[in-house]
Amino acid sequence: MKLYISKNKTVGASPVVLDDMILTADGTAAGSKMLNNYKSPFDATLTKSLSAAGYSVAGKANVGEFGIDLLGETSYFGAVTDKSGNLCLASAEIVRSGEAVAAVGLDVNGAQRRAAALAGLVYMKPTYGTVSRFGTVSVAASGECIGVMAKNVSECKAALAAVVGHDAADGTSLSEEACDRVKNGAVRLKKAAIIKNFTANVDDGTATRTEAARAALTAEGITVDEIDCDVLTHAKTAWGVLMCAELCSNLSRYDGVKYGHRSENYTTLDELYTNSRTEAFGELVKTAILYGSAVLSEGNYIQVYDKALRVRRVITEALARLHREYDVLIIPACSKSAYTLDNVAASKQLPFDEALYTAPASISGVPAAVAGGIQLIGAPFSENTLFEAAKIITGETE
Amino acid sequence: MLVTDKDSLSQLKKLNKLALTAAQDEDTLTFFAAKNAELEKMAALDTECVEAMIRVMPISAVLREDKATAHFTRDELQASAPDVRGGYLKVPRLLE
Repeated sequence: MKLYISKNKTVGASPVVLDDMILTADGTAAGSKMLNNYKSPFDATLTKSLSAAGYSVAGKANVGEFGIDLLGETSYFGAVTDKSGNLCLASAEIVRSGEAVAAVGLDVNGAQRRAAALAGLVYMKPTYGTVSRFGTVSVAASGECIGVMAKNVSECKAALAAVVGHDAADGTSLSEEACDRVKNGAVRLKKAAIIKNFTANVDDGTATRTEAARAALTAEGITVDEIDCDVLTHAKTAWGVLMCAELCSNLSRYDGVKYGHRSENYTTLDELYTNSRTEAFGELVKTAILYGSAVLSEGNYIQVYDKALRVRRVITEALARLHREYDVLIIPACSKSAYTLDNVAASKQLPFDEALYTAPASISGVPAAVAGGIQLIGAPFSENTLFEAAKIITGETE
Repeated sequence: MLVTDKDSLSQLKKLNKLALTAAQDEDTLTFFAAKNAELEKMAALDTECVEAMIRVMPISAVLREDKATAHFTRDELQASAPDVRGGYLKVPRLLE
């Protein structure tokens, strides 16, 4: 069990751990044999932001291959499990153990949200474009976001404030004014809604946590309704299409020529490409590449890929309509209270199926927090409202 | 319908420079079958008058100032290359 890919020997005050999707000069593998021993010539912008805010990087945390799996189980360096054999994300374990005050990672397919929910941590995936992705291993650029995990709301909020900001080096970075709304936006917390379409097939523990969140919010005078919004369930399929299409395109650069793994078994250039990619990519990533390639092919592009882009707008507009009435939408972060290696071995679909809960925020770029083991979804730039709701749910007084 | 048989899967693997074992082929076809069922449900959503949404935030193309800035050296960029000879990336001979 490998929690750290690299660990710094001297760590100052306020240690943070970075998911190994974030480039640092001491090496970044993205959980893949393909990038094992890869040394970036530069550090990600966010590492400088963290240093400027007084944080010190304690090390790089093990992640699932290119961050698309359930809970890091596809890492080339091995899955992380607890004493009971349940899967956990390395960064969440490091924060839970107290070795770091926060973890910063790239949220591609919701692994960090699931991990935070299962570990009882606080997490925030902020509004798309408010944290620089310059210097991250790009997988699904149209929806992936840097997120921050901590033991409590105040530490999560402080670490997020350190990394939020405009970065001219990132073409998807929003203006400084927009980023400032994440840090200083007003709190508006009067009405919340549990979306019933996501609570039907969850286990007892998840249902209990959802009810506990409702009770905590209600006790503070916040109205909590139960509503239906079936269209949001299509986010899973649409995000699966978009994520895999973008992954297929982004991972085409790994050919064994410029950097990354090169097979020793080749005589022709075609064999060099094929054997290098076949040896280095894990099974889930290969499947995602093939699916992404299929949805982008000439015969399917309009029917599948373009359709998913239209569904993205339908979902984004549905969320905007809901947020005109409700300040916070409550849905689970995942369906179960624990997952084992046997669970993921039984179905290659599982990381895609569990994206049912995380895909609405991934595909639309809205902020999503995790607290008390459940997920809170807000309107763009409503992070402070989500943090306030998280405080109530976790019972934090400061 | 996306990939439903071994021939179309073989073509897809060839295009993506990937090889799978026979068991992985079966798993992948099972995956595609499940995805096809999902895609059918998504196809039923009426999106005829909906514009495709490429970006989730209103971000326009960013142009940098046309000014020389510090760049990485060739040695820095080739530091992680699998095989380099004389400053070039080495690959198998293409022409005999």
